[in-house]
Amino acid sequence: MDAPHVIVVGGGGTGGALAHDLVLRGLAVTLLERGELTSGTTGRHHGLLHSGARYAVNDPESAVECIAENRILRRIAPGSFEENGGLFVALTDEDMDYRHNFLAGCAACDIPTRELTPVEAVGLEPGLNPALKAAVWVPDATMDAMRLPLRFFATARQGGARLRPFTEVTSLLHAGRRVTGVAVRDHLTGREAELGADLVVNATGPWCERLAAMAGVAVPVQPSPGVLLALVGRLCNLVVNRLHGAADGDIVLPQRALSIVGTSAWTVEDPDDLDVPDEHVQAMYREGAKLVPAVASAAERAAWSAARPLIGASGGEGGGRELSRTFKCFDHAVTDGVEGFVTITGGKATTLRAMAEATADLVCAKLGLEAPCRTRDTVLAPHTAYYTRRAA
Amino acid sequence: MIGAGLRRGDKRRLVPRWLDPHGRHLGSWAFVANRLTGLGLVVYLYLHLVILSTLLRGPEAWDGMVELFRRPVFLAFDLLLVAGLAFHGFNGLRVALVGSGLLVDRHKALLVAAGTLVGLVTLVAAVRIVG
Amino acid sequence: MNTPRTVLFKVLRTDPAAPVPRYDEFRVPVGSRTTVLDALLAVRRLKDPGLAVRHSCLHGSCGTCGMRVNGREVLACVTRLQELGDPVVVEPLAGARVVGDLVVDMEPLYRRLEPVGRPLLRASERAGPDRAEAAAAPGTGPVLEELERFEDCIECGLCLSACPVAGDPRFLGPAALAAAERVLEEPRGTEGRAVLGLVDDAHGAWRCHLAFECSAVCPAGVDPGGTIMRLRRRLLADRLPRLVGKSHPHQEVPS
Repeated sequence: MDAPHVIVVGGGGTGGALAHDLVLRGLAVTLLERGELTSGTTGRHHGLLHSGARYAVNDPESAVECIAENRILRRIAPGSFEENGGLFVALTDEDMDYRHNFLAGCAACDIPTRELTPVEAVGLEPGLNPALKAAVWVPDATMDAMRLPLRFFATARQGGARLRPFTEVTSLLHAGRRVTGVAVRDHLTGREAELGADLVVNATGPWCERLAAMAGVAVPVQPSPGVLLALVGRLCNLVVNRLHGAADGDIVLPQRALSIVGTSAWTVEDPDDLDVPDEHVQAMYREGAKLVPAVASAAERAAWSAARPLIGASGGEGGGRELSRTFKCFDHAVTDGVEGFVTITGGKATTLRAMAEATADLVCAKLGLEAPCRTRDTVLAPHTAYYTRRAA
Repeated sequence: MIGAGLRRGDKRRLVPRWLDPHGRHLGSWAFVANRLTGLGLVVYLYLHLVILSTLLRGPEAWDGMVELFRRPVFLAFDLLLVAGLAFHGFNGLRVALVGSGLLVDRHKALLVAAGTLVGLVTLVAAVRIVG
Repeated sequence: MNTPRTVLFKVLRTDPAAPVPRYDEFRVPVGSRTTVLDALLAVRRLKDPGLAVRHSCLHGSCGTCGMRVNGREVLACVTRLQELGDPVVVEPLAGARVVGDLVVDMEPLYRRLEPVGRPLLRASERAGPDRAEAAAAPGTGPVLEELERFEDCIECGLCLSACPVAGDPRFLGPAALAAAERVLEEPRGTEGRAVLGLVDDAHGAWRCHLAFECSAVCPAGVDPGGTIMRLRRRLLADRLPRLVGKSHPHQEVPS
């Protein structure tokens, strides 16, 4: 009997991790991405492997997901993280007050922390603002935003997944209220085709409402972009965070010979049309320099925006900061009476594997398959294999 | 507005890749010049031997050849030859040095120095040829 | 009323149905920050969704948006239109098979890189002003003995496109040779001897003709040309003792 065929729409980290998970469970997978893999939100993030500490106080569900995946990713993708750790730095009395809740929150979420005096902190990270009042070490790390997910794609491809970038879904195929496949246009050849599937997964991140609309369903996702800066010079070796509730410009982290400062938040309707508002760029310089003074005089390599897919009612107030960063699977048979269609959205770059596991569990349940997840312990192929090795 | 212009694209190379001048920097020009002067010198060497073989035909034939090569167009060619030889030699020294991993950071300065020496040698040769 | 400044883009398109590639023209508005990639994505969004272009990080870190702009290899996401003239000619990288429009097959680059086996991580230098006197007191907190960072090379392929002799598919090329020198400089548990054999070859380090185009276009500060020359010095240092009969070939990794 042929293995069930699942079409994953969306070539970001979630799609890649899902293709990998489903292939390991014995399914046939076709992944469709309208551009280059990770060209959506995934490739644009600042490269943080979250310890979860940022969410320990206000979003403990996210925090717990992050620290668990932090540990798993280091195990299954060795050699893909700068494991220098991170610091949460208190600059004001307010920050010092926040510290108590922060430490309590981290402890409750099983995130290891270590308090440092200013002297210890600067000794560990000479790029810090010497006027800091206190610092807390956390197990943050940095990743390459594209190459880490690419390892999932490489492994999936070796396992037999058909990966088709530059292939855009133009509409969904239906039989009554059931989704039976997709109609696509291949942008490289200009040719159109139809692909049948036992299930279609919507993994398009902030674009998921667009694809959902093709199925006649809605997903409560709010695209919420933020501005990031890349500055010339490796101004710090550790991730440097501000010890306060999440706000603009409160992280500075290294990326090869660049330093990334982020981020801000507002909401949009169309994730393809993102501005880079100058006030946000200036805010990054201002706030980033409070953490790492060299930011103020560093040359700018680039300034760009990336849209987070935040789960919550569309048109939320406050620019999206108050929405949870956790992820969610939507089985549209249950929510909308449309069979054969599932959406996975929300989440963070750090939780790509967990999102895939949850989605693959749902996919298998819907297809009546008993297939346990094997991605927690499967070491991934190197990212170069995506280009050099085809199906095994 | 998408133009409907159909023009010859990159597909068919008009020149071999190593000779393509688009977007090239100083180091590439030195490499191209080294190849061209090298080819030129090989061709010249062959011609030179052919001309020397005139000696086998006796003194009158040889004197006739020498008179021919006193004409201005050939003197100009001689100057070109000196310049080419000087460039191939001095740049060749640069390539030998830098290519062995010495003075690598100065490779552009070495090229300028080589070019200066080529200029000097050619100038001296020009003076002597004309004089 | 001020009309925004515009620039004429001429983009080389490859259409499998057409016998030769053609230049499509687009008029693109220019802001103070507009990059070549911004312009191409605006064209894709507003004029032609079929324009195939690779991109990911938008800040010169992933290496996917390499292309030739006015004949020169650049990363489109960090190339500002304000610094270019008018018109702007955009073409895919040279030497590799064009998969579609500005997308080229990256397999030739990775085929050369993989045998070198260079790890992604290397030792990092301490950042920031010298704070040697503020070192952590023993036993009171985590002290990082060794900091690590990703290697500079972002595998963009600009060097391979710019190299005048990389048309020869047997030539290892600037990226792989620079990676090899990095492995020999800082082994990190890899097998140095295998790499030596790979690069000490007529199609390895000795095939380079010192055009230094690779170093001129590298957006990540790798200086492949200079690195290849360091590699050659290493190979010569290895050979010299052999010439005078002192040691066997490739027995130790030479310094």
